[in-house]
Amino acid sequence: MQETQTTPSLSIPSRSSTSTQDRSSTTGQASSTGPQPSKPPTIAPPVNPKGPSSGAGIHRMRRIIAEDTEWSLAIVPLLTELCIQHIVKNFQNNPILKQLLPEHQKKVLSHLPPDLPLAVTANLIDDENYWRRCCMQRWPVCHVDEHGGSWKRMFFELHLENLLKHFIPSTTDPEVILRLLPLCRNYVRTIRVDQFLPPVQLPSPPHDRDQSDSGSEGEMEEPAMDHYQLSDLVAGLDHLEELDLVYGVKDCGMNFEWNLFLFTYRDCHSLAATIKACHTLKVFRLTRSKVDDDKARILIRSLLDHPALEELDLSHNLIGDRGARAAAKLLSHSRLRVLSLANNQVRAPGAQSLAHALVHNTNLLSLNLRLNCIEDEGGQALAHALQTNKCLTTLHLGGNELSEPTASLLSQVLSINTTLTSINLTGNHIGLDGGKQLLEGMSDNKTLLEFDLRLSDIAQESEYLISQALCANREAARQQALNPSHFMSPITAKGPENPAG
Amino acid sequence: MNPPASLGVLEEKKEEEHLSTPILGPSIHSDNPQERIQARRLRIAARLEARRREALGEYLDGKKEAEEDQSKSYKQKEESRLKLAKLLLCGTELVTNIQVAADIREIHRRVEEEEIKRQRLEKLENEVKTSQDKFDEITVKWEEGKQKRIPQELWEILNTQQVHCAGLIEDKNKLISELQQELKMKDDQYVKDLKKQADDICLLLERMEEQVKNVMKTFRQELHHIEKAFEVERHELLTSNKKKWERALQAHNAKELEYLMSRIKKVEDYEQQLNRQRIWDCEEYNVIKIKLEQDVQILEQQLQQMKATYQLNQEKLEYNFQVLKKRDEESTVIKSQQKRKINRLHDVLNNLRSKYNKQIKQFQEENQSLTSDYKRLVMQFKEMQKAMRHFALIDDKQFREIWLMNEEEAKELISRALDVDRIIHTHHLGLPWTAPDFWFLKNVGPISQQQCKSATQILEEVLMRAEEEGAEEATSETESYLELPKQVSAKTTRRILMLLCDEAGFLIESKLLSLLLPLEKNECYLLRLDALFSALGIEVEDDLYKLVHFFLKYQAHHSPPIQEQTSLVSALEPEELLDHGGGEGSLVEEEPPEKEPPRSPVLIHPNDVLKILEAFVMGLRKPRDFRAPAKLLKGVRDASEDSEYWRALTTVIPAATLSLWDVLYTALEKYHLVLTQRAELLIENRSLEQQNTELQQLLQQYLDSKVNSELQVPPTHVFRMPTK
Repeated sequence: MQETQTTPSLSIPSRSSTSTQDRSSTTGQASSTGPQPSKPPTIAPPVNPKGPSSGAGIHRMRRIIAEDTEWSLAIVPLLTELCIQHIVKNFQNNPILKQLLPEHQKKVLSHLPPDLPLAVTANLIDDENYWRRCCMQRWPVCHVDEHGGSWKRMFFELHLENLLKHFIPSTTDPEVILRLLPLCRNYVRTIRVDQFLPPVQLPSPPHDRDQSDSGSEGEMEEPAMDHYQLSDLVAGLDHLEELDLVYGVKDCGMNFEWNLFLFTYRDCHSLAATIKACHTLKVFRLTRSKVDDDKARILIRSLLDHPALEELDLSHNLIGDRGARAAAKLLSHSRLRVLSLANNQVRAPGAQSLAHALVHNTNLLSLNLRLNCIEDEGGQALAHALQTNKCLTTLHLGGNELSEPTASLLSQVLSINTTLTSINLTGNHIGLDGGKQLLEGMSDNKTLLEFDLRLSDIAQESEYLISQALCANREAARQQALNPSHFMSPITAKGPENPAG
Repeated sequence: MNPPASLGVLEEKKEEEHLSTPILGPSIHSDNPQERIQARRLRIAARLEARRREALGEYLDGKKEAEEDQSKSYKQKEESRLKLAKLLLCGTELVTNIQVAADIREIHRRVEEEEIKRQRLEKLENEVKTSQDKFDEITVKWEEGKQKRIPQELWEILNTQQVHCAGLIEDKNKLISELQQELKMKDDQYVKDLKKQADDICLLLERMEEQVKNVMKTFRQELHHIEKAFEVERHELLTSNKKKWERALQAHNAKELEYLMSRIKKVEDYEQQLNRQRIWDCEEYNVIKIKLEQDVQILEQQLQQMKATYQLNQEKLEYNFQVLKKRDEESTVIKSQQKRKINRLHDVLNNLRSKYNKQIKQFQEENQSLTSDYKRLVMQFKEMQKAMRHFALIDDKQFREIWLMNEEEAKELISRALDVDRIIHTHHLGLPWTAPDFWFLKNVGPISQQQCKSATQILEEVLMRAEEEGAEEATSETESYLELPKQVSAKTTRRILMLLCDEAGFLIESKLLSLLLPLEKNECYLLRLDALFSALGIEVEDDLYKLVHFFLKYQAHHSPPIQEQTSLVSALEPEELLDHGGGEGSLVEEEPPEKEPPRSPVLIHPNDVLKILEAFVMGLRKPRDFRAPAKLLKGVRDASEDSEYWRALTTVIPAATLSLWDVLYTALEKYHLVLTQRAELLIENRSLEQQNTELQQLLQQYLDSKVNSELQVPPTHVFRMPTK
């Protein structure tokens, strides 16, 4: 109808072809032409032919009907259609959605452009399809599974992440993030930031958008290297459950400076206060951030008796025995289920204190001490602890300089313990005898599903036999899982194991 | 499977039926005994097998069976699952191998690094030590240099110092360069590591991709295999089911045909039967029809007869009706006559009624006037009585006062007289005096008659006493009891009373009896006797004793003289007969029919009681007639005793005493005379004595005078001194 009025003469021959595409073309047109042509279609379609009231118009119409065999009233867009188009066009200024019927809502949502300002859309639109389009437009690769399967959540999380990644303290306006807060507070559950930019000494505002430019800003050696303080943001997010932070700079290339990777004490204190205040936090990860003993202790102290925390990951840091001792204390003062201290500098005393905490712990399911140096003393302490512990299912002790004494103790543990499902001892010097002892222990065990002994100097034969035993255990576990009356732990235990390995 | 067989056999057979049906081996039902034995053996073996299998575990068994059941598809599934699991495991291992390798490399590096670090530190320490030594040497030299005064020497020393310093610096520089070299190597190493890691990552990616591809491919393959297996199985199932279906259908068809045939046969049978039935029915129908027609004819005849009798009856009834009509007319005439008569009588009745009413009114008025008169009179009488009582009281009082006054006077006189008498007796006669003891001396106030005790009080006492006695078993007190004049023991009294109570129960009102039921035995007796006495008219103590005596006497003589008793009674008993006269009369009349008692062996036979009572009552009743006016005398005092009393007062001093007094008087007179004479003589004597003493005194005076001394012979010598 719109076309017949605006360009009546031109559309006549092409009507048959365009009529079917009518809707799509109008939307395209609407966005370009703006509000001016939107007024006439609001007048009811049946009035239109009479509006001009010229004999020629009527004559032309008749002629059209006579000539065009495929013409019918059905191709005339409905009033609702037109209204929807108009709403879509003016959505930014006048968002009408909730008042519409569900079917019309659907139509409007399917036609909304994905680049509308968030202030309009954030709390108004819940439709996943719209947010899917938004995400697809902004990011080429989207793993919606990592965001709870919700496109909207994913959009806001990635958006916030992006802002945080490129935030330069004392240069970028903190309002940029705080303004977003009321819009995203209901949707953001996870924050994953793998870089925090340090403050810039030589301001270069036009470049700060670019990630590659961060390198050029890393030239200053000022003591004030504090990063963005998360406290305001986190306090505003009601549903925050996961915090995954890396205090470092990515892609610095040849502009490398040690200062770029500085996790200062003020950062540490503010982060500690932030996570203490966030009672919904379940997962806290702080990796590759040069967290040493003192900082780890500050962080862990703030996490003592946290009501919700279940997973703590401080891998790839510089935590030593004192930090490990603090973590051990945390084990007995929280409901921690997963603890990862991989690639730190924990030695025998730290492992002993962890083992001591593990003896009476009933919450921890997974412990990762990969690439530490706990050696036989620590390994033996842990093995002793496992003889009484009835909760731990996954233990990663890869690359810990363990040798035969630990293996012999572990073999005893294997014959007693019925909760462990996965052990990783790769990269240790267990030796041939140790392997045999482990095999003996394995022969009594019916619950262990995974036992990684690669590159640990044991005989091929025992490794093969152990893998056979594991296969049998896995079959049994599978049978149990199939029988609903049996215990389901083997399956659930696999969950936390996968990311660790 | 015979039901009457023994139970054990029955069960066995039941089981064997279950087992033997699927096995197509030897049957236990066969006629051959050998075959039967074999069948049983087989059955036992099968049972043992089953038990063994059970013991081995249901699970394995089930699994095996399931495997057999689902055979192809299940096998395929299991196979592919294992294959895929293996593949995944191998793949992850392959991928993680890189990580593990990197880890171990890192560990080696760390170990090496540590070693190198340690060496480096050692080296540095050594270096520091040596350089410090050198530095110390140099500083010592400086001191030396300060002491040198000669410029050449100083220069030399300075030169050597410079050389030494340069050496030191060179050493340091060397170390620095070495370290820098090391750093460079490390950098190279780092770059190499980076490259290596990049390669690793590339490899990792490659492997992952490969793994993904592999896995996808194998998954697809396996899926395909499984699908195929399923299809095959489905096909097989379909065919087998189809076959089964066809077989079943054929069987069904055959059966259908069979049924159809049998049905046709049956239909034919039924048709034949129907025909036979119809013929038979027809015959029967005809027979019944003939019979019924005959019946109809008989019934018609009967109907005719009935009609004839009916007509006859009708005529009779009509005649009766006429007769009754006439009678009716007659009766209406009589009715009207009677009605008229009733009306007339009604009028008469009304007149009489009005007259009667008038008379009633008249009499009522009369009655009223009379009652008012009567009331007035009664009032007057009462007032009179009141006045009389008042005056009687006042009179009494006055009498008493006057009496008291007179008595006092008399008593005073008497006491005086008695005092005199006493003095006379004791002083003059020297006799012991005893105060006369007269009854009237103790009396104060007007003499009045003693109050009689009421019969009931006595009764109570008697009963109480009797009870006590019964309890104590001591009868000694009976005599002292009250003033029983006729020595009747309380026990007998009591017994008599009990007897009376039991026998004369009819005198007590039935109402009272019912009230007495819940009371105690003793109380009950008391109340009963009270009622009895009130009925008999016994009120005073004496009456009671009289009654008792009457009984005793009766017992003694069988026929006591009633007249004597009655006279005695009448003397002491004026009032109560008057009070109960009316009731007594009726009682006496009631009594006679009840008496006719035989004698009792102990005291009085209960049957005699009534007779005695009757006699007693008769005796009591007599005085009533002539003692009626005695009531008036009640208020009048008995003056006879008064006069006696006063007379007695006068005779307080007896006549003998009076005469004694007269004699005494004359004697005392004489005695008085003698005494007076004697008194006179005594006075004379005394005067003479006095004269004598005076004369002696004069003599003495003369003797003592001086004249004597002058004399030659004094008289004194002559005389003898009379005094000394």
